[in-house]
This record gives sequence, C-alpha cells and structure tokens, in this order.
Amino acid sequence: MMRHGKRSAALLALAVCAACGGGSSDHYQPGTDLPASEADAARLLQQATFGVDEASLGRLMHLGYDTWLEEQLDKAPSWHKPWLQQRIDAGTDTWQSHRVALWWDRAVHADDQLRQRMAFALSEIFVVSDESSGLENDVLGCADYYDTLLGYAFGNYRELLEAVTLTPQMGKYLSMLQNQKPDAARHVEPDENYAREVMQLFSIGLVQLEEDGTPKRDGTGAEIPTYDQSTIVGIAHAFTGWNYAKATNWTWPTANLLPMEAWESYHDTQAKTVLDGRVLAQGQTARDDLRMILDQLAAHPNVGPFLGKQLIQRFVTSNPSPAYVRRVARVWADNGLGARGDLRAVLKAILLDDEARNGHRTNPASFGKLREPLLRMTALWRAFGGHAEDGLYDDLWDPIGTFGQSPLESQTVFNFFRPDHEPPGTLGTAGLTGPEFQILTHSQITATTNAFEAQVFRGYAGYASARTDQVLIDVASLRALAGDPAALVASLDRLLMAGAMSPEMRRAIVDHVTLEPLGNGTQRALEALYLVVTSPEFAVQK
Amino acid sequence: MNHHRRRFLAQTLRAACAGAGASLFGKLHAMQRASVERAPAPGDYKALVCVFLAGGNDSYNLVVPRGPAEYATYAAARGDLAVAQASLLPITPITSDGRSYGLHPSVPELQALFAAQKLAILANAGPLLAPMTKAQYQAGSVPKPKNLFSHSDQTVACQAQSAGADGGYGWAGRAADQVLALNQGLALSPAITLAGSSRLLLGQTVIPYNLGWNGSVPLNGFSGTRGTRRLQAFRAMLNQSHGNLLEKHFAEIQDQAMSLDALIRSGLSGAAALTTVFPDTSLGRQLKMVARMIGIRGALGAARQVFYVVAWGYDTHSDQTTAQPNLFADLSRSLGAFQSALGEVGAEADVTTFTLSEFGRTLSSNGKGSDHGWGGHQLVLGGATRGGDLYGTMPDLAIDGPNDVGRGRMLPTTAIDQYAATLAKWFGLTPTQLASVFPRLGNFATADLGFQQA
Repeated sequence: MMRHGKRSAALLALAVCAACGGGSSDHYQPGTDLPASEADAARLLQQATFGVDEASLGRLMHLGYDTWLEEQLDKAPSWHKPWLQQRIDAGTDTWQSHRVALWWDRAVHADDQLRQRMAFALSEIFVVSDESSGLENDVLGCADYYDTLLGYAFGNYRELLEAVTLTPQMGKYLSMLQNQKPDAARHVEPDENYAREVMQLFSIGLVQLEEDGTPKRDGTGAEIPTYDQSTIVGIAHAFTGWNYAKATNWTWPTANLLPMEAWESYHDTQAKTVLDGRVLAQGQTARDDLRMILDQLAAHPNVGPFLGKQLIQRFVTSNPSPAYVRRVARVWADNGLGARGDLRAVLKAILLDDEARNGHRTNPASFGKLREPLLRMTALWRAFGGHAEDGLYDDLWDPIGTFGQSPLESQTVFNFFRPDHEPPGTLGTAGLTGPEFQILTHSQITATTNAFEAQVFRGYAGYASARTDQVLIDVASLRALAGDPAALVASLDRLLMAGAMSPEMRRAIVDHVTLEPLGNGTQRALEALYLVVTSPEFAVQK
Repeated sequence: MNHHRRRFLAQTLRAACAGAGASLFGKLHAMQRASVERAPAPGDYKALVCVFLAGGNDSYNLVVPRGPAEYATYAAARGDLAVAQASLLPITPITSDGRSYGLHPSVPELQALFAAQKLAILANAGPLLAPMTKAQYQAGSVPKPKNLFSHSDQTVACQAQSAGADGGYGWAGRAADQVLALNQGLALSPAITLAGSSRLLLGQTVIPYNLGWNGSVPLNGFSGTRGTRRLQAFRAMLNQSHGNLLEKHFAEIQDQAMSLDALIRSGLSGAAALTTVFPDTSLGRQLKMVARMIGIRGALGAARQVFYVVAWGYDTHSDQTTAQPNLFADLSRSLGAFQSALGEVGAEADVTTFTLSEFGRTLSSNGKGSDHGWGGHQLVLGGATRGGDLYGTMPDLAIDGPNDVGRGRMLPTTAIDQYAATLAKWFGLTPTQLASVFPRLGNFATADLGFQQA
C-alpha cells in the first residue's frame, strides 16, 4: 500500500512538474558544462543510457551534462507491468519471455533512459529471479518488482529498501513471506534467508568499510565483520509475521502484488538483539521491528561505500579509485541538503565525477568496464534503429543462452556476477576486478559473438529472408558511406565507441572493407559493423 | 587480491610461458609441439569430477537412519521435513556402526550403486580450520571458518583453502597444478568447468576452461573467401596491442575460445556417440558432456583432468517437500547415467566423482523448508572408490544434541580438507604436495579417510 502510495506521489510530482513545463524541451536551458566534443558526450551516454543514438547525442551536446542529467532525472517512468497486464486482460498468452521482450523495448526506445538503466543496475543488486519456483510463472510479479525499482530509482535508499523488503516477490524469493515466530514444540525456527541477505547484499556487506570502500582492519590487520550469526538470528526473529496483504488465512492466503502486511499473531514479540548489539524491546509490532532494523541498516556508514561502489561499477568502471568511492559515499551520506541516501544525487555524483569523465585519459590501462552482453546488443539497436515489424523483441527468446544474462533471471541472489570477481588471467594477475567477466566464459563469448554475426549479416532492413518477428537494424546511413571506408568506420566509431577507436583497429577494418567490392554498399557496411561490435575495443566501455 | 598472489601469479605465468608452455592452453602452438614430444603413458589417466550441489544440500534427508530409536530422533528434529520411514531405500554398509540406514525414496540409482560397492558416503563433513567440539564452538576457543552459513563464503570455504597464505585458489585447481607435468600433451586446460566460473578449479598455474553443455561451438561467418578475409581482420583486432587490460583480457578469452574450439570439436566428432541416456536436465547435460570429454582423453592427450558441474536449486528455504524429491531424483539419475557412460568409454576405474555443497541445512524447519547449516553428507563414486560403505561419523540428529550448534546445524566431524586430500592423494599428489595444497591438513587426525583405493 505504502509502495503504491509513494509511487503515486512520485508520479504526481512528475505530473505537476510537467504541467509547469518540466519534460518539455523549453524548460531545460543549456548549461555551461557543454561537452567539449561529441566523443565526450558519447562517453556519458554510454555510461548513462542503453546506447548512443543521434537524438540523445544531439540533446546532450545542446544541454550540457548537468542539465541533460536533470532532464533525464525528471522524466516520468516508462513502466513495464501495464503492457503485460493489458495482454493478460486481453486473454493473450503471456510468458516471462514477453516480460523480457518488453525490457528490450524499453531499453531501446524508452526516453527515460537513465531511469531504465538505473532500474537495471538495481535489479542486479536487489536480485529477485524467475529462476525460482515462487516466481517462475509470475510474469506480472516480476514486472511489478521491476516497476518498483523504476519507481524508486531516483528516490531515497531507505524507502527503496523498505519497498523491496515488503514486495511479496522478494518475500517469496528470500522466504520472508509467511516467516513465522518460533514454535519450540515443533522445532520450527524463523527463516534466516532475508535477514542474512538484506545485510550481506542489499545494505552493509560482510565487513566494515572505510568511507572509500576499502576494508577497515583491526590491530592484527584482519578485516572486521559487520555482523555475526547472532545478529542474523535476531533479525530473522524480528522479520516474522509477514504475509500477503489482505490475507484471511495465514497458511492459504490469496496471492497478490500489494506490499506484505503484518500478522501480529505470527510475529515474535520477544526482545531481540540485532545489529551492533542493539536490542529491540519485547512486545514491539512486526512493523516497528522492521522499521527500526531498516533505519539502522540505512544509517550504517557502510551503505554509501558498499552500494555506491557497486553503482559506480554498474555505470562507469570496474575498478574505481578509493577517492572516487569516497566522493560518492559522501554524497550518499549527505546530498548537500542534509538528506542521506538520495539516489538522485548519488547518481549525478557518480556520472559527473572527474574520474567518470576523464578516467579514460588519466588511467587508460584499467579504466572502464566490460559492457554487459545485453548492453552490447542494446547499443547496436539504439545506434541503428533496431526494430521488429511485429513490435516485439521476443526473437531473442533465450537471452541467458545467448548472453549469459537476462533481466530478473539470475540463477541465485548473487546475481550473474559478483562485484569483486577477479577473472583469472590478465586482470586477476594485475589485481583488477572485472565483474562482467564472470559470465564471459569461453562458451559464452562464442554464443554472443555469433549472435552479433546473425544480427548484422541476417538482421538488417532489406535482408531478403527477414521474418516479421526479427529485430532489424537500419544500415542506410552506413551504406551511404560505403564508398569511403575511412568515413564508414569513423561513423561507427562515433556512435558505438565514443570516438575512441585505436588506429590499429581502424586500419584492420578499413583494410578489410576496402577489399570488399563496393556494389550497393550494403556488404561493406555490414562487414565494418560486424567487426566493430565483436571487437575487444567495443566490448569495453571506457 | 593481495600482492603476494599477484606477484606469484605473474611469476608463474611468465615461467610457464617461457617454458614448454604446455600448461597454458592459450599457447596452442607451443602445446601442439609439446604433444609430439612427450605423451603420457598409455592408459595412465585419472579424473576428478565435482558435482556441486549449489544452495546447500539437505543431505540429512538423503541418508536417513532407519532404526526405530534413531528414526524417532530424526523425525522429531525434522518435523514436517521428515521423510517417511517406510519409504526409505535400505542400504547395508560393509562396516556397520550398529545402526541401519536408508536413502531418500527418489534415489534408486544411488541405492544400486551403493549395493554394487561403487558409491561411498562420507558422513557430516564440512569446512573446519581445526577439529572442534560443541563446547569449543560455543566458547569460541577454536577458530572457525569466517561467515559460517553464508552461501558465498562457504562456497569458497569448501572449494578453496582460503586460510592458506596463497588466498583463494581452488583445491582441485591446485591439485591439477601439482601434476601438470603428466599433462604435457594436453593443449587444453586440465581443469574444465561446465558451469561457468569455478573457484574450485582455479589453480596457481591452471586456469579453468569453460565448456558449453553441448561441447564447443565454432564462430560463424568465417568460411568462404569473404569469411576468410573477415577472419583475418577479426584476428587482427584480437592480436593488436591492447593498452587497456580489460580489452586485453577480452581478446584473450576470445582467442582461447577460437583456438581450442577446433581441437575439442574434432575430438568429439571423431568419438562414437554415447548410448547411455542421460536425464535432459542441466545436470544431466553437463555430466553427459563430461563423459564425452573423458571419452576423448586419448585424442586430447589428457592424463589428469578435473571437471566441475553444478546442480542448482538446493537452497530449499521453502517448498522443500516438493522440491527435494525432484532434486534428488535428478541427482540420482544423472550420477547413475554418468557412471554407466564411464563404463562405455572404459574409464570407470579412472574417474572419481564426488559431491560438494557449501553447507548442509538445519534439521529444524522454518515451517516450509530448512535454513543454512554446516556439516553434511557427501557422495563419492567410481571404480576406484571403496564403495558400499559409510565413512566418517554419523551425527546425532537430536536438536540440542552433541552435534547441534543451533537449530540443528551439525558441527562437522570431518573436515573438507580431509575429504579433499583423500581425493587428491588418489589423484596422485605426494604427501609434500598434499601439505602444500592443504596447509591445515596437519590439524586433523587423518589425511586419508580411506574411501579411495590406493
């Protein structure tokens, strides 16, 4: 209830803003921080959107960084659930693949790019997944959860945490739904799943952190745990008594998507010792216990560096400097107006930080991140108008098989990859993390490269055997440049690589394209495009 | 990563590159040369296959006491999670501990393997730094693995010897490191994962190769005149200098995938199809691929290999009574098929398959399922296993009993180190190598639990 109330309030605010001019181009006046070049602008767009296209590039060049971000931050959410709800209401078969199809559509076409990108990042931190028995067939539930992330994407972390905690989707996924007080006679004890993961993954992490994200050390140089098993037990007891809203029977409730509600008769009212020895008094309600624990977690000094660093990794670079993490953590602690956990301010701090804007110049050897495979494909589709005649993006029906990831389809709550993953080989040897490399297995890289081969050579508008359910890209602009291979490659560099293509790579592609007879230009365009989107340089966002 | 490891890895990599390069599968050309220089003795082959039960296996419902008194203790502890006494599949261990046991009704294949003395059961094993009593646990007087009951930490704890000086290497990867010399003819990494990134297989020198469930797939688009030209350009982009290390790493993985693809595909295409029917599940498919790879061990020139497969879904917090029979049935059928396929490819005596799971589960119920525990039973099977017997000590399943450290979490009575060292010894590691791979092994009474033939 509260979640919907909050979302409505957020929408109302946006509507009011729209009425006074927000959302229209007039309202946003160019700032003084105009990008020095299209390449600089394209870099921000790589970080903040699902891919560079002409429109966003022009808009950012016109408005400058800050105002462009403000405009994005003000945009109303493009929700995911309503379209699926309409399908279901119309009696049309609707599966998780339709939810994923809509995710692609939003990623490629929604104009609230930054919000969609943030929701995707949050979906990889606050993980629920349809790869679980409870959510496997719950298409609307998964979409509704994603909408929750969209709704709170630029809100306050404390409110996001509570909203996520009380979704029945999370309740099912990490078994807080119907978690009940102890029953000594039957040896029944409260489930510890959510109590554990809300700390380990959604808020403070396992060890105490300095403000810059590095672990604190005790006198012997050892890391210091943030909590122990007794904390988990205490919080598990505190998190008892929650069930579907409006349930009339604890054991056989009617499933729905409203925030969970408390049943005091199933809530453990004994005193509990929770984080840092704090005692929750005997006799408190389920909601009081929950509120006090979430307040304490959200106020913990770890949250800013712990989650701030992960957000930096999702948007900008896998190995941020401690100073970068500290700057973001400080904004997390105080948005400048005294508010803590303001995700809007945090996101701006991440994207406008000097390291985000200039890290590729100051630290070229380790700056950047492997693009997530899904984002490699959206970058291609956004740059070249990827579109299916039937309006659906359900041709790629198995993103896990093709890309090793798919929205809300992680195998475990630990996401597709861990933020501290050090891939064995070059990166691990250098002591660098590369989270996304965890899914870049030898078999996966081949599947993804082959997906690009199919997309480019058999998925362009004009391809003779194209199907109506196939996403086709428009290569007319490239075809027009085919007579000038250098210009063709430069055009790809501009939209797909933020102008950062190395001379070696440029030469390899130009040489290859030049050997291709000009013809009507299509083959040259395709050859160049294929080589760019399968290149190591494109694969890494810098 | 600590600086030690970083430096050591760099040295090892350099050394390996400078030498025969046989261990680094990216260096294909060096390896192809090596393959004619030194082949392993014909028939000298051993493989370890880890079946990781991800999520934490509730193994107390896999092996259940059947005698009236013990079953009553079990049933009282497990409440609504208990498996019905009459449904248990009886087993008769060679060495009796005075009690009778049965297996979960969903695992007839495992019952048959046990009866055929191909399957051994190790009771109540788990990560430990040193032997520990319940009193010591409660007093905190003996160090214990950090973050007990946490998925990610305990996965590392049972796959890597992280308390050692050299950080997070996996023990199977390090075991493979020790016997690299035997793999001179092998262009491929001796460590193959079918389940993505694997800590267990990560050695100091050995870097795991990721194989798809259907084997290796080639890159498309590189045939014909145009395709050949395209491949040239594609390779030029891989081989160019990469100032950015993420780019360089990406290029290396792509290069490795391409180099090894032809090798694996030509090997597999030359092999006879398996007649054994595997379950069409993720576990069944992974194990089938492992069996096929073992089938071409001769063609690959492999003498020692370690494999990693994962069965997901064992984190049974809810719906345990419906989920568990399916999980166990899949495990049983898949392991049964795998053992039979190993017979087909003549490798039954040379391959040891073993389970691991990050933890056992609580005996007590949460009303719908069980929670993260600690010790649990493990399965070992193969022609080199002294099967048909129970190893280790079956725990007292009483809530608040001598093994219970809370909620029916069983304090392990055998360390993963002992379990792993027994497997590694069979794999061919010397006592010195075992001590190096398992730095805490000396803390425990025995380094060889006896379930493997010498």
